[in-house]
Amino acid sequence: MAMELWNHCENPYPFVPAEVLDAAPSVRASLPNKYCEPEIAAQLYDEVFEEYQHCDDIGLHIVTNEHHSGINNLWAASPVITGIVARLTKKVRILSLGTLVTVRPDPVRVATEYASIDVLSRGRLDIGFVKSGATEMTSGDANPMRIREREWEAIDLIEKALTSNDGPFSWEGKFFTHAHVNIWPRPYQSPRPEFWAATSDLPTCAELGRRGIINTLLFGGYDRTKTAFDTYKKARATAGLPEPGEDRFSYMAFCYVGDTDAEAFRVGQKIPWFLTVSIKSAPQMAKFMPGQIAPEMTPAAWRAGASKRPTDLSVESLVRQGQMFCGNPDTVVRQIKDFRQRVGGVGRIILMTRQGLVTHAEAMKSFSLTAKEVLPQLQGLGPVDLDMPTAAQ
Amino acid sequence: MTSMRVGPFSLETIRVGTGRPILLIHGVNPIHADAPFLAKLAAQGEVIAPSHPGFGGSPLPPDFDTMYDLVNLYLAVLDSIPADDVTVMGFCFGGWIAAELAVANPKRLGRLILVDPVGIKLSGREDRDIVHYFNTDPAELNRRSWRDPARRPAGIYGLGWQATISDAMTDQEMIALARNWDSLCLYAWKPHMYNPRLKDWLHRIGVPTKLIWGEFDAVVTPDFGRAYASLIPAAEFAVVKDAGHHPELEQPEEFVAAITAFLRPGR
Repeated sequence: MAMELWNHCENPYPFVPAEVLDAAPSVRASLPNKYCEPEIAAQLYDEVFEEYQHCDDIGLHIVTNEHHSGINNLWAASPVITGIVARLTKKVRILSLGTLVTVRPDPVRVATEYASIDVLSRGRLDIGFVKSGATEMTSGDANPMRIREREWEAIDLIEKALTSNDGPFSWEGKFFTHAHVNIWPRPYQSPRPEFWAATSDLPTCAELGRRGIINTLLFGGYDRTKTAFDTYKKARATAGLPEPGEDRFSYMAFCYVGDTDAEAFRVGQKIPWFLTVSIKSAPQMAKFMPGQIAPEMTPAAWRAGASKRPTDLSVESLVRQGQMFCGNPDTVVRQIKDFRQRVGGVGRIILMTRQGLVTHAEAMKSFSLTAKEVLPQLQGLGPVDLDMPTAAQ
Repeated sequence: MTSMRVGPFSLETIRVGTGRPILLIHGVNPIHADAPFLAKLAAQGEVIAPSHPGFGGSPLPPDFDTMYDLVNLYLAVLDSIPADDVTVMGFCFGGWIAAELAVANPKRLGRLILVDPVGIKLSGREDRDIVHYFNTDPAELNRRSWRDPARRPAGIYGLGWQATISDAMTDQEMIALARNWDSLCLYAWKPHMYNPRLKDWLHRIGVPTKLIWGEFDAVVTPDFGRAYASLIPAAEFAVVKDAGHHPELEQPEEFVAAITAFLRPGR
């Protein structure tokens, strides 16, 4: 098995003064944009696009995404950014993970954007779907109720738009109607680019399994990831479908690769800013946003001291929980191989490296080491040894 | 608590009192059986208070999710009440439903009472008439909803309920509040709490109508209420003093006093 490594950068903006962030009820959705200095943002765009070009040279695939109105992400429109990346790169694959289809009013427009990117990249596009977080419902003014159903209908319509080549069809669904769908250009890849979806929601994982869509988990750790992948496999088996390869499974973790473990841990400690600073959201955009958790789960979430936010965000703790790969190249190889064993196989690892306060130079160094010394050791892997101890045991 | 069957729908329903029917259409949360205003109102007639689908113990059918569904449901509820002079009283979000219902001019509707209703858009495109229920800090929402939050009857919740969550609440209370909140959002997220076309049809309301407003309602202001009333032919407008968005909960005696004359037979 040849493992793929992907670089995911959200292009965070960690330059708002701490006293502003401390005083703000939310650093997403409602933080005034006067705190975003365009000159600094332009510099960040330059740096991250340069990192993506470096990844293209050395063989790390690229992930973009989008979040809105906050310090955590300057990629406000994934298809725009992905289109630029498609033009700046020549070789690697590009995953848009993704534009927020639960917020976008017209899936046909989304399909058109993605088809265009697939053509201009000459077939290097993968398309990812995410349900969106609570603050995105606020910034996108999208009803947070029934978004699982809405997401699936959007995916169905996008798929049909990408794969219909014989003139207009009409769509009269529950959430979307479009009387005349006929996208130009059609995608470069036939029948369509690969689909991914980011979720640990088990019914959704099962449906991904039945459809053969790549299931990626974000920071799920060992147990949640294994449970999700097992659910995917079981749903396929139950439906009488062939066993999925490891390429159907993906996992995103924080990562920093240094010359030494000490160096990696020192720089890597800048990454959990993502969890310590960039997630703060006002209560109406977080635990009281409708539709985020089943009503039956609210007592556990609302009672005093019920916060699930991990308190120990040291690199050591994140590594221990399988949420971060960090160290010298050999250490990171060991961690990734161990993770693969413990979740029962995973073929596409997404690394979040340029995150938080990590600098451009630090990120470039980690990418170089990852491509040169980690990636080669993750090729030609034998089958996962199912007899080895796993997280569930 | 009883159950009302309306076509394929089952609605948890409170019924108290006897006499001419008074149909209550609730707002953020279902009418609470222990709400002090309820017993006083029951002296005026038979009070019928269903919970909307998705609220309280009423199931939410998979495709039931619009104001259109609610209006047709309550038209069916009205049809099911064997009387020709039903008083419909809508509170807050339920006031919007009641106004839509009255515009349809159902034959059983005798009179209409709207209590701090939402449902219409009056001001300019950059001004909000209705404070955003789902995008306002709960503490602020609680402050705007009550003249004095301490007057909220124990165990009965209005807008801003999230700010009053405590470990003393039961799991069942939390689950019910969360389910109500989800369902409200389903119906009213966008446009937020109004129908852009409703105000141009309020002139069709042909029954005696009274709008009741909490003097200190800072969710929808009394001035908005007066403008709302001016769009309904022959509507009366009255203020309940020293109350916020939920005058029926905050000043139950004054609230019932404000509608007693209006409810009197022969008016």
